[in-house]
Amino acid sequence: MEDAQTRMSNAIRNTALSLLGMFIGAIIFVMGLTVGMVLSRPGATLFGSASPFAFSTLTSDTRHGSTTQPESPLDYALIEDVLSRLREQWYGELPSREKLTDGAIKGMVSALGDPYTQYVEPRFAKILNEDISGTFEGIGATLKQTPGGSIQIVRTLPGTPAEKAGILPGDIIEAVDGQSVMGLNTTEVAAMVRGPRGTQVRLTLRRADQPKPFDVVLTRARITIPLVESRMIDGEIAYLRLFDFSQPASRQLERDLRELLSKKPKGLILDLRDNPGGLLSQAREVGDLFLDAGVFIIERDYKGNEKVSRTTNRGIGQDIPLVVLVNGGSASASEIVAGAIQDRQRGTLIGERTFGKGSVQSPQTLSNGAQLRITIERWFTPNNRSIQDEGVVPDFIVVNTPDDQQKKRDPQLDAAVEYLKTGKAPEAPSTPSR
Amino acid sequence: MRATKIAVGAALLAWSGLMFAAGYVARWATSPIEVRVERIYGGSNPHALLDEAWAYVEQHFVGVVPSDTVREYGAIRGALATLNDPYTTFSEPLSRSIERDHMRGEFGGIGVQFSLNDKGQIILKPRPDGPAAQAGVQEGDILIAINGQQLPSPARLEDAAALRGEEGKPVTIEVLRRGQRLRFTIIRARIELASVEHRLVTATVGNATAPVGYIALRAFTERTDEELQRAIEALEARAVQGYVLDLRDNSGGLLSSAVDVASRLVTETVVAIEQRRGQAEILHRTRSGITSPTQRKPLVVLVNQHTASAAEIVAAAVQAQRRGLLVGQRTFGKGSVQLVFELRDGSAVRVTAARWLTSARQALDGNGLTPDVLVEGDAEAQLRAALNALAPSLAAR
Repeated sequence: MEDAQTRMSNAIRNTALSLLGMFIGAIIFVMGLTVGMVLSRPGATLFGSASPFAFSTLTSDTRHGSTTQPESPLDYALIEDVLSRLREQWYGELPSREKLTDGAIKGMVSALGDPYTQYVEPRFAKILNEDISGTFEGIGATLKQTPGGSIQIVRTLPGTPAEKAGILPGDIIEAVDGQSVMGLNTTEVAAMVRGPRGTQVRLTLRRADQPKPFDVVLTRARITIPLVESRMIDGEIAYLRLFDFSQPASRQLERDLRELLSKKPKGLILDLRDNPGGLLSQAREVGDLFLDAGVFIIERDYKGNEKVSRTTNRGIGQDIPLVVLVNGGSASASEIVAGAIQDRQRGTLIGERTFGKGSVQSPQTLSNGAQLRITIERWFTPNNRSIQDEGVVPDFIVVNTPDDQQKKRDPQLDAAVEYLKTGKAPEAPSTPSR
Repeated sequence: MRATKIAVGAALLAWSGLMFAAGYVARWATSPIEVRVERIYGGSNPHALLDEAWAYVEQHFVGVVPSDTVREYGAIRGALATLNDPYTTFSEPLSRSIERDHMRGEFGGIGVQFSLNDKGQIILKPRPDGPAAQAGVQEGDILIAINGQQLPSPARLEDAAALRGEEGKPVTIEVLRRGQRLRFTIIRARIELASVEHRLVTATVGNATAPVGYIALRAFTERTDEELQRAIEALEARAVQGYVLDLRDNSGGLLSSAVDVASRLVTETVVAIEQRRGQAEILHRTRSGITSPTQRKPLVVLVNQHTASAAEIVAAAVQAQRRGLLVGQRTFGKGSVQLVFELRDGSAVRVTAARWLTSARQALDGNGLTPDVLVEGDAEAQLRAALNALAPSLAAR
């Protein structure tokens, strides 16, 4: 009996003890939860609570490692006011909050007045990110945004799907695969156009002389064009065409140039038309072939740093009379080379005003998956001309019309040959630009 | 026993430590998802993403970063652009003040018209006898400064807004005339923007002629109805037998003003039906008790492809009641109503808040009104056609 009682009270004691243990455990669990919750607020201490606002701002900091995000001085009272008016009064169905936010950021970014600082919506940023393997192909056209926001074809590159389909410079892209491009920027439209090699894409185009938009179907393809093309014209003029500034450009150009020079030409034509650019380092080495020692390009970055790159005095093409051909498709590295040759009075530029892309963008990924491409650096010619703002204007303007293109004529090349042979300046509408 | 106590104590300690850790981990494991959802989809700060983007711009952009005001205006424009509605727009404070003056039909000013040339300069054209003309400002003068403040180059039309202000207060301007800088101090006066013009014209009726009142409405402002009344009085004094109301190139204005004007042309009717999202229809009726000679005498209304909005409301009311013929070209076709909300800093947002239908329940968006007598060609030919269309009803009188 006593034994039983003892056993019984022991059992009760044991049960009570384990209940107490579990109870204490539960309390401590809640304490742990609370401490964990409070500490999970970045910047918060156990004793002060951070506002939800600071919470989200700081979270973006830690995710992207930027250290000096200032507290926002902007409370967005105006835009909130506008959005609430829209919610109350606008006749249609409002787009989603995400879409309105995408638009707001685009509008904010366009207040910078720089067409290359762009916000790329998450759905298009995804395409850009998926393409790191490089298996996506475009159609071989360069795009630009008009002041009214339309997406316009600037150039179609020779031999590409765009050119074969009869797309013309000046055409406006209205839709891609039936999806309107209204409100989208060049990077986003380019992302829509890109896709796996061999697949098709349908563009809806508007052309100035046609009353209605029309569709063009293209097959995406990789176009392998030679990097350099070289030949002698009429046995006395050397002709060198560079298609882009990718890695082996300067070496291949130098090899071809050496071979041409051995034929003792009277003059040299460097054709940079429709050359969209490429690596800055290649531009400098190409410039080095033709220029003696001096300033080649001035780079100015967002920190206010200025970097001056120079050419050396070792080029093999420093002495021969030189004409550089440029047009609206000559961009970026092409403009640097042409601008330096013009400023240093090393040669004569013939053709049309260049594209005007003299800046570098750095992409940042935002927390919603969008990409923000920010212009972090601008390029200036040796005489301190901004390539970005004006492009490079040739010394003699000679225009190749669509009609010339159709009839396989090349007045720009003819003018260059004539100029080198006889020193005769091209005729009107040419106007000395400087 | 002592050993048991130690064992129990140690077990308790270990248990509580474990629970604490579990609680702590439980919180951490659940928090990131919550955080992300809140950040993207609004909650407490729906604009966190705008701050995030702008922080990058401020850190990395190579050029000049605009002020917060410019940035917010840009954000508003961008958000509005997603609506795909060309009539829902944002106006910055200066352009809003000019718009407001135009709707009011009067303001304190110096009496100059200004326009922008292709060099981005503001060119002045003083009104005859206006304060600017009296001070010596000449047509073609280039405005370069207002109250000592140089205008930017290139300038925008809004930059001339500071010419306007309180009536009776002076404003000092500097202009460039043939390379010379000139300075004028001018006292602002009350400037009225006439929205109504009238003159006497003659219609040929058989072998005879009849005097006809020609009234052009350029816009529908707060003062249009009053101006119209004065024009009618002046023309009645000349014993006109009919009216030509010219609504060509009139792109609209205030709905209330259109209703007032319609009330002088047609007898009691519904002028327009306004439809708002999720609300009952609003019927806009003519004001009761209006009697005007223009309700009884023969009437023809001139319209063209720039006749829009409030002007179409008036033209539709006339056509629906068969009060008179529409002569000219198919109208623009703008069947939406915008409400203007002024924001705290003087900027404004104009929001498409309703569609309207004609009293015959015809929607105008994208359609426009088809005139009874189609006349392409120049303004004079259209006026002649209008007078010809009026002739039969004049003869019938």
